[in-house]
Amino acid sequence: MSEVPRSGWVAWLEQRINLTEIFSFLTHFGFVYTPIDTTRPLSEVTRELARQPIPTYARWPRVLGLFAAILFALEVVTGVLLAYYYRPTVDAAFDSTRTIVRDLPLGWFIHQLHAWGAWLLVLVVVVRLLRLFWDGLYRAPRELLWWCAVAMAWLVLQSDFTGKLLTWDSRAYWAAVRGMEVVFALPVVGPVMAFLLGGRVINDDVLIRFYVLHAMVLPVGFAAFLYLTFASLRRVGLGTETLAPATKVTSFREHLYGMWIMTTVMFGLLASLAVVLPFRFGSAADPYSTPSGVRPPWYMLAPYAVIEGGPGPRWVLGLFLLAVAFAVLLLPLWAPRFAPDRLDRRSRIAGIAAFALWIALSVAGALMEGR
Amino acid sequence: MKPVTVAATLTAIALLAPTTLAFAQPAATAPGTQPPQATSVAAGRCGVCHPAERVQFETSRHAQEDVHCVSCHGGNDKSLDQAVAHGAGFIGRPKHGDIPKLCASCHADEAKMRPYNLPVDQYALYQTSGHGRRLAKGDPRVAVCSDCHGAHDILPPSDPASRVFSVNIPKTCGRCHGDSTLMVRERHRPDAYREYLASVHAHELFDRGNPRAPTCVSCHGVHGAAPPGAGDIDKVCGQCHTAERRYFTAGPHKQGMVAAGLPECVSCHSHHNIRIAEPQRLSVLCSTCHGEHSPQETLGGKMWTEYRQASAQLDQAAALITKADAVPIQTDDYRARLEEARTYLREALPAAHAVSEPTVAALTSRARSVGAEVASEIYGKLGHLQARKVALVVLWFYLLLTVLVLRRFQKQAARKD
Repeated sequence: MSEVPRSGWVAWLEQRINLTEIFSFLTHFGFVYTPIDTTRPLSEVTRELARQPIPTYARWPRVLGLFAAILFALEVVTGVLLAYYYRPTVDAAFDSTRTIVRDLPLGWFIHQLHAWGAWLLVLVVVVRLLRLFWDGLYRAPRELLWWCAVAMAWLVLQSDFTGKLLTWDSRAYWAAVRGMEVVFALPVVGPVMAFLLGGRVINDDVLIRFYVLHAMVLPVGFAAFLYLTFASLRRVGLGTETLAPATKVTSFREHLYGMWIMTTVMFGLLASLAVVLPFRFGSAADPYSTPSGVRPPWYMLAPYAVIEGGPGPRWVLGLFLLAVAFAVLLLPLWAPRFAPDRLDRRSRIAGIAAFALWIALSVAGALMEGR
Repeated sequence: MKPVTVAATLTAIALLAPTTLAFAQPAATAPGTQPPQATSVAAGRCGVCHPAERVQFETSRHAQEDVHCVSCHGGNDKSLDQAVAHGAGFIGRPKHGDIPKLCASCHADEAKMRPYNLPVDQYALYQTSGHGRRLAKGDPRVAVCSDCHGAHDILPPSDPASRVFSVNIPKTCGRCHGDSTLMVRERHRPDAYREYLASVHAHELFDRGNPRAPTCVSCHGVHGAAPPGAGDIDKVCGQCHTAERRYFTAGPHKQGMVAAGLPECVSCHSHHNIRIAEPQRLSVLCSTCHGEHSPQETLGGKMWTEYRQASAQLDQAAALITKADAVPIQTDDYRARLEEARTYLREALPAAHAVSEPTVAALTSRARSVGAEVASEIYGKLGHLQARKVALVVLWFYLLLTVLVLRRFQKQAARKD
């Protein structure tokens, strides 16, 4: 330590533990974009950090990764509270969910925050993927950022998919059935998923696996990719070169206040949605009666349309979907050859076309519910 | 032949031809699926010349018991010589009019029926029936035992293949009573069978598969079948419709109808073609006897209005419960109370048979008040949800305050750095 700490509880702690190390660990999951010297005392590091210049580039909508981290934290906190009362069995799932939202004080609020937070998180990771593509941030040296973004989007969608079933609500159940039809139609991946999820029929075995995935495996995976994202970001820096005029520099302190304001507004938005547009509480799922208008979750409508309505045998369609998924994942490898310049118009036009196709397929999938 | 000898002979035949024992289980083998055997335990050697009858007989209940061809037809079933077989004591085909007495020779004998715990009053009942009385007058063209139960292939009423199994009874009676030419000739109601098939009772029996739904015999009697007369009809219908009968006999219609010689329940509900009793018929049915603009028609209209209003109130409460469940709000108690209210409302329909407005109104107003209570309590709870919106406004106030403070700090930070 280069400086003798002053008296007080921080000093008392600082003599016994390296607070800077802990701070550094926490900031590895977000907020700080520069390396931290863990050999120096915390107060010194934070003071220096606050004054650190940061380009005004780090503002909406270029901080979606940070929003994902904040929303993820909200999901963890509300999810833990829900897990105190939730029971993952076919017999008790619906009743325990109803107990949470009906009988427990503020249970409805926690549940609605968790649901709307998830909704927003899905939106954030998908929009983030689109914005990274738009700004060409998948090219060297940012391939890792892109792969992490794809993985995070995939994990969030999986969490949303597994989480919806946990309520054992009639609509959620049948949406899961439809969604799993798509997954099981994929060659190789389908049978492996069926094995991992405990079968092709949604029962107690599948429910407990969904619960474990939703509450343990997927969040840990998400945290790991969040960590990788920020670790990579510290190495390659912010993508400032995209926007040449935005060279105005501000301090990290000001940036942090800005983020705080946005977080506050976001919480207000979530609370408003929870009160004004609450998710309606349905009836318990009955595997023997299908309600009308059942469709997979919105992000699975396009693959659903391909599997159900596409020409050719199912395994060919499944192979096509897998190919598309790998094409998105391996974008950093093939796209630079297709359009060498970073902000090439060709890649953007191709992206818009792909997005339009995706929307069209989703609409087709939504109209297929009568089948 | 003494019973002991019969038993010994049967045992000998059984030992000699064990394969024929399979025929002793009628349910196990459908008739005609195996080549007829020359002899069998039940039919003796009669089947050699009468194979068709033997096959029919061996599926029957009688074939499983100590009943043989000779029990009804006389003669000797040990001989293949027609002169011996159709010799001493041979009856042949019994005369139609003699059949009840022939069956009664066993079925009215308490000593013979006791081991089977079967009643022995069928013959006595038959003699009181429309069929039996006409037979006693010397009219042989009436139904006797074999017309309903069959001759050789008699099965117990519990067997779904039996002619007298509950679901098959309308068809069995309909063989004669559905033949309108025959019925007109016999001066009988020609449409009873067809009308029954269109009734709510037949719908319940055939379409909904309720084996306890009333058939012909439920109202007319079984062996003592006869049409119930005016004054007895409420008793017949009241076997099942107990509440309706209780209110009906307490009201003015019972005395009035009996005095006027009008059939009670039938006057409004018809006899065989009984339709579902729709509550709205209360408003139109009275005028068919009492005339239009009569006070009775007004009374019927009032009862219908009472019922309709209560029913609408309960529907509204049920809709509110569905709405509350979607929030969700605890509704178990409301459901129980709504069920209680529905019980009152359901009771109001039998109560309408007393044709007294206060009786009906007492029930419908109870149903309505319970429904209204449930509705107002749910409205109250749904109103509590408004508190959430108030809290949201307060939350936004503090959030905006926080944003303002943070914004100030942010500007300070920008100036300082």
